[in-house]
Amino acid sequence: MSNKLSSSVPTDREVVLGILNNSEEALNKLYTGYFPMVLQFILNNNGNEDDAKDVYQEGIIVLYNKIKGGDFELSSKLKTYIYSVCRRIWLKKLTQQRKKTNNIADFEDVLVVDEDVEHHEEKDRQFDKMQSALLLLGEPCKTIIQDFYINNLSMQDICEKFGYTNTDNAKTQKYKCLQRLKKLFFQV
Amino acid sequence: MSAKVKEIIFSSIVDMRNEIELEGIIEDYLNDKLTEGEKNAFEELRRNDPSVDHRVVTHKTFVESLASYANTLELKNKMDAAHAMIDVDQLSRKLGPHPSIIVNIWRKNRAAIAVAASFILLTTVMIYSIQLTTQQTTGYEKMSVELNRLKSSTNSLIRNVKSNQHHSTAPVKPVKFGGTGFAISSNGYILTSYHVIEKSDTVYVQNNKGEQYKVEITYKDPVNDIAILKIIDKKFSLSALPYSLKRSAVGMGESVYTLGYPKEDIVFGKGYLSSQSGFNGDTLAYQVAIDVNPGNSGGPLLDNSGNIIGIINAKESHTDGATFAVKAKYLQDALSSIPQDSVVGKISSKKIQKHRLEPSKQVSKIQEYVFMVKGL
Repeated sequence: MSNKLSSSVPTDREVVLGILNNSEEALNKLYTGYFPMVLQFILNNNGNEDDAKDVYQEGIIVLYNKIKGGDFELSSKLKTYIYSVCRRIWLKKLTQQRKKTNNIADFEDVLVVDEDVEHHEEKDRQFDKMQSALLLLGEPCKTIIQDFYINNLSMQDICEKFGYTNTDNAKTQKYKCLQRLKKLFFQV
Repeated sequence: MSAKVKEIIFSSIVDMRNEIELEGIIEDYLNDKLTEGEKNAFEELRRNDPSVDHRVVTHKTFVESLASYANTLELKNKMDAAHAMIDVDQLSRKLGPHPSIIVNIWRKNRAAIAVAASFILLTTVMIYSIQLTTQQTTGYEKMSVELNRLKSSTNSLIRNVKSNQHHSTAPVKPVKFGGTGFAISSNGYILTSYHVIEKSDTVYVQNNKGEQYKVEITYKDPVNDIAILKIIDKKFSLSALPYSLKRSAVGMGESVYTLGYPKEDIVFGKGYLSSQSGFNGDTLAYQVAIDVNPGNSGGPLLDNSGNIIGIINAKESHTDGATFAVKAKYLQDALSSIPQDSVVGKISSKKIQKHRLEPSKQVSKIQEYVFMVKGL
């Protein structure tokens, strides 16, 4: 095949350990290492740079969750796995856009990753739902929820940050916010 | 505000308080912040009250999806940061589809093009091999020696002189053809192949002693490839012909021989009759297995008894030893064209000889009657 990719890529073991340890450096190496491969695939199959970015990031998320989920076995090369996942995601998008999907120009070997991709699509829908629910929730609820459930701030911290007279008031506010968020999340 | 309404509001506030308290406990339980005793008491409550259990599960799921959302968001932000470090434009130029349409067509249809190309290649090879085979069966060489490939004859020279006076000084190379002929009368009539003298206007014959005589062409038959020449020299004369014409069919496998001038000296060639028909089933001719060379054309084909059974005219170009000779019986037309009163000692077709002489003796006698034909 033409255009052999020469960018330095980390070893597969390095990447898996790095992700498990939340190493930002490992993520950066992984990201920059395999992006050209996916870019090449997308560009040569009716896509542009933005499509490549979206598809590649989704592919990395799939890999990330798989490694984090603990059920990732190095049965194939990471490169092949990433390529196959991104390829699958892109072909699905092409079909959705009703673009021609025969004559796929391939540059790497391909694995069957349909299950992983479908699992990811479910999670992706949840992500989108949560994102729009949080957007609709508005301030200060959004920040309170994020501070408490994501940033793990204590009720005391939140009480001071938002100037509530006592923690009970803060608790009540947080409770109401969560109830609304749940409602929005399940509505959307 | 009535007491009843106050009561409802109060109870709902109490309910909400309880709800908030319950959620606080669930969160502490999920975060493992309860003491051992509280935890046991709460698990007891979960078991006894399905609605509490349900709330624990839904809360857990919801908080988990919130956490997963947060993780993914964080990952996306990190990836965006990493993405910003990549020079995407440069990569796109390197990895993107080639701007040229032809290169793209090639890349996308590589397989189809490869199939088409191999098909064309295969077809070409097949056609070529078929042609080769056909050439073998159709190749047919006239056995005259074409000494010079320039096809301009004296005729065309004359025409040139007439039409282009200023070109008349151009040197003209005479075309020379060589073949063989044999005497059919004792006063200088010589039979040869038409194609030997086809392109010549001035023809000479030379006997085995090297004596040359100028001849005139008295008869041409392109269809049967026969021509008759007459030695102009009135004083020329041969003794009675040692051979006669055998017009009846000759059996397959019979030994035959020929004499001819493929080179400056007379050459003897011996073989057998291999087929009653000639090239491509031509019934005018025999096929004989004798190796002949250019120059043998027009030579007599004789059987073992020294009877002329044909006249050598061609061979198959890619098959050795397949030589063709016009059958003697088709020479009759040619012979009858000679004016009776001018023929002396005409070749006989009635007195067929039978073993009068040993073949080697025959040859030494016959060779005097075989001439080299040279066309200029």
